[in-house]
Amino acid sequence: MVARSLRLAGVLLGALLVLLIVGPLLRLVWEASPGALADAARDREIRDSITLTILTASAATMLALILGVPLAYALARTRFPGSQLVRGLLDLPVVIPHPVAGIALLLFLGRHSTVGGALGALGLEFVSHVPGIIAGMLFVSAPLVMNGAREAFAAVDPKLERVARTLGDTPWEAFRRVTLPLSARGILAGALLGWGRSVSEFGAIVILTYNPKVASILIFDRFTVYGLPAAVPAAVLLLAVALGVFVLLRLLEPADRG
Amino acid sequence: MIRLEGVSFAIGDFRLTDASFEIPAGGYGLVIGPTGSGKTSLLEAIAGHVPIPEGRIWLGDRDVTRLPPEQRGIGFVYQAYHLFPHHSVRENIGYGLRLASADARARVEELASLLGIGPLLDRRIRGLSGGEQQRVALARALAPRPAILLLDEPFAAVDPVLRRVLRRELQELREREGLTTLHVTHDVEDAMRLGDMVAVLGNGRIQQAGPPSQVFRYPNSAFVAHFIGAGTVLQGRIVRTGPTGGDPPRLDARFESGPLVLEVIAEREGDAHAVLRPEDILVSRTPFPDYPRNRFPARVLRTELQGPVTHVHLDVSGETIVASITTATAQSLDLRPRDQVEIAVKATAIHLI
Repeated sequence: MVARSLRLAGVLLGALLVLLIVGPLLRLVWEASPGALADAARDREIRDSITLTILTASAATMLALILGVPLAYALARTRFPGSQLVRGLLDLPVVIPHPVAGIALLLFLGRHSTVGGALGALGLEFVSHVPGIIAGMLFVSAPLVMNGAREAFAAVDPKLERVARTLGDTPWEAFRRVTLPLSARGILAGALLGWGRSVSEFGAIVILTYNPKVASILIFDRFTVYGLPAAVPAAVLLLAVALGVFVLLRLLEPADRG
Repeated sequence: MIRLEGVSFAIGDFRLTDASFEIPAGGYGLVIGPTGSGKTSLLEAIAGHVPIPEGRIWLGDRDVTRLPPEQRGIGFVYQAYHLFPHHSVRENIGYGLRLASADARARVEELASLLGIGPLLDRRIRGLSGGEQQRVALARALAPRPAILLLDEPFAAVDPVLRRVLRRELQELREREGLTTLHVTHDVEDAMRLGDMVAVLGNGRIQQAGPPSQVFRYPNSAFVAHFIGAGTVLQGRIVRTGPTGGDPPRLDARFESGPLVLEVIAEREGDAHAVLRPEDILVSRTPFPDYPRNRFPARVLRTELQGPVTHVHLDVSGETIVASITTATAQSLDLRPRDQVEIAVKATAIHLI
């Protein structure tokens, strides 16, 4: 009897949560008329900004993978001095308000800063340039990518690698033939989450690079300048594209062969 | 050949100090020790997964102490098998062969048929029974024709019937492939049945190593005696009672363990342990006329029927001593708890350590 009422309560609470997430999105889609959507799809500025968003989010995710996967492996497999500290530091972006991250990045990468100045001398401009978008996205998404990979590696028993070593594999071969295939799904899930986080980023990017506009900034811009009716079609388009890429990548995921 | 010379290493909380033993080429060695005594770490060290700061490891005529695992020519089977879940049975067995050559395919088929897993070759790992996984793991380890096979509790997870079958299969494969094998287990029975060499691991050291007959008959410490279940281990003192003679010198002595005093033949005096093997203890309802010494009144605590032998737990002056008598004798004596009996033990049968 208790179990039954508990289950009922669980179902009701869960349904409420789903409604809170799906409800506003459905309402948003409902708001956009087919004609306005078609106009938005032909709007060059909207198309460019969605393309820019997808490309920069993908670049940020790739960078996070390249920089984060080796570290994730080290954190999953070994305990080195300061490994706990590194883990803690990499989780910081999760608790920092994103405009704060944007301001910090501006101070770090701005033309008058040491690092930004040096990189600028090499031709790499961040503020009001595409690299600034990628830097903001990387800052907020790297923890998700890194933690996804770390958990995926930790779930692979190190004894499997040891067996591979006794069967003639070098450390790199054992990683490539055993650990990587077994953790690929988890790494990809983390990367997907990081990509989504990058696409949705606003606060950090708006401070670093307002122009060229990523989709979230364009939508905000249209909302403040022209009002709700102008913002809705662009918002629905971005939602559709992001959802589409998410579903596509989920379908491309390697099947669980275990 | 597997030879350890004064090997010391530390990994996590486990520390092994000064381990030495040798298994001759084609031999079968066992390392036995309680759960958590570091048996798996020892195997992993021999396989090259743990850096060895002190001592040397020889495999065959090669000093492999500094070689990485892939250059040691070792087959390794973990207790939980650790098959690659993303590969089929065939891919698992062929993993170490690398080349998709006709030879490699033939080797996989050969081992699969030897181990009776031919029909499983194209199956996935998920869904295999424990015995099937065990055979796949063994075939995978043997496929690259290693000279050395390391087994971590290979029979721990299988039922007794399958265990007997696997022991026999392993024996045949060893001879066929000319393998030198090291097997770690907490199962004393495996050690008695299989080994040419037994090493007892405990408290981070090899406590004793040698042929099983030697180790089981003459444990060199109370730890080993307890672990192998050599019998009743009494703690006490040796006190000289007569002159010394012979070579090595032997002396008539008393072994005093609380109220219990045994007449013994000793090589030294002082603190010691006495091991009383169950099969050396005689039990009777009437006094033993042939045993003027080492006769004691005892009270039966309980009896345990174990097939052809019966273990009789006895209280002798407050010490519990276990005697092993034939079940036929036990039945004719009709022993029941609280019965008063007499026990006797020969002075020469008492092993002092």
